Amino acid sequence: MGASEAARISASGARFLCCRGFEQRSMNLLRAFQTSGLGSCPQSQIKSFAGSMRGTNIPIGMLFLRYYLWIAPHLFLGMVVAGFLRRGLQKQLPIFSTYMVFALVNFFTLFGVSLVMPLNSYRWVLLWGMAVSSLLQFAVIYELASELILSRSSLAVPLRNLLRGVSAVLLLVAAGFSGAFSSISVQRVVNVLQVVDFASSVVRCGLLIILFVFTRALQISWRSRSAGIALGFGILASIELAGVGLRGAFGKSGYITVDLVQMAGFHVCVLIWLVYLFLPERNPAFTGRGLPESELALWDQELQRMVQR
Amino acid sequence: MILPAVIIVAGLVALVLILGLGNGHGRSGGNLDELAALLRPIDVEAFRNLIDEREQEYLRARLPLKEFRSIHRERMLAAVEYVRCAAQNAAILTQLGEAARQNSDPAVSVAAEKLVNNALRLRLYAFQAVPRLYLSMLLPDTSLAPHFIAEAYDTMSRQVVMLGCLRHPPQGMPAAL
Repeated sequence: MGASEAARISASGARFLCCRGFEQRSMNLLRAFQTSGLGSCPQSQIKSFAGSMRGTNIPIGMLFLRYYLWIAPHLFLGMVVAGFLRRGLQKQLPIFSTYMVFALVNFFTLFGVSLVMPLNSYRWVLLWGMAVSSLLQFAVIYELASELILSRSSLAVPLRNLLRGVSAVLLLVAAGFSGAFSSISVQRVVNVLQVVDFASSVVRCGLLIILFVFTRALQISWRSRSAGIALGFGILASIELAGVGLRGAFGKSGYITVDLVQMAGFHVCVLIWLVYLFLPERNPAFTGRGLPESELALWDQELQRMVQR
Repeated sequence: MILPAVIIVAGLVALVLILGLGNGHGRSGGNLDELAALLRPIDVEAFRNLIDEREQEYLRARLPLKEFRSIHRERMLAAVEYVRCAAQNAAILTQLGEAARQNSDPAVSVAAEKLVNNALRLRLYAFQAVPRLYLSMLLPDTSLAPHFIAEAYDTMSRQVVMLGCLRHPPQGMPAAL
């Protein structure tokens, strides 16, 4: 790879670096642009940024890692979507299927937009994509909770009430903390991105933890595929939450590293989905006869209690 | 710097929690005989007596206040033990019911579903009942007795009997119930 080619990849790589579908990556990109004193024309921005990247002399290994973490999870996600469609699982989990398709469409859209449209348009597409993606993720959590309820009618009311209550509390917490991000950048879109990212991570984390605690406390089990989806989302949400904090703590110098960590989180999430997709769906494996033989007297006694009522 | 640190810690704690809680989901199962052997006997009538308000009034009328408070505390502690035991049984019966739901006989799977639902309901009740009993221990004048626990336990017991009857006609329910 020649120097100019590397520079070109560096430029576009820096631009798309953290594109996971619902990306905070615009943060480091925008800041990189801000600090390099760029003009308003996207092409000149890319060229100038290419220059600055060339100056930083990014090792080829790091460049490969960035590209890998940007592209590979989406390839794997494409495999998950294909597996879902081939097995007809979109009927069981329609919202999750929609989310995955949206994530792929969003990825390709952002790629295309970043090549041909002004940076500001790109930011807004990114923001809307992120907002839709967050909503879809909430809908997936609702879908997973519904699956728990579906065959256990006694859980419907308490679980719904619990999720409503927890969502309300988490939204309040997220709104309270989001005030701290209101002046992270002079650009409104960046602030909004940061706030949406933070609030969405907090609520998703909280809801998934509550769902896991609820199922654990009542000793009920999800189907293994749903548990895998929840686990993947949980890992992703918690890493994104920690990422928001890391970005705040390390400032500009840590943006790229934090984004790499977050992209790695998405990669792990997609791999978990892939593994659970190809693992056979397991019903709980029980052995033994179950309810043991009892003494006839107790049997009669209990039946009599039934008759008396 | 404090806020980012708080957020980082929250994210890491969430990650650990999710990994810990998510690990093992979908791997439930086990030996049903061993599970059934874990069921502990409960005397529902004795529990009803412990939380009976008339009984409480009777004791209040007959005993000096200090002694009444002491006895009431003992009674509520015993009731808490009953509730915990019932909740434990309900958890075991949930698993037994989940196993029975896989049965090819529709009658068995329907009965098992009812059992699972009631066992879950009882477990939810138990989560509410324990704090109420502790509160009643502190404030004996308030009426916080969880009567619904006894009713739910009875319902669940009947469904265990029904399920046992459907699955193994000559056999019955666990002696613990």
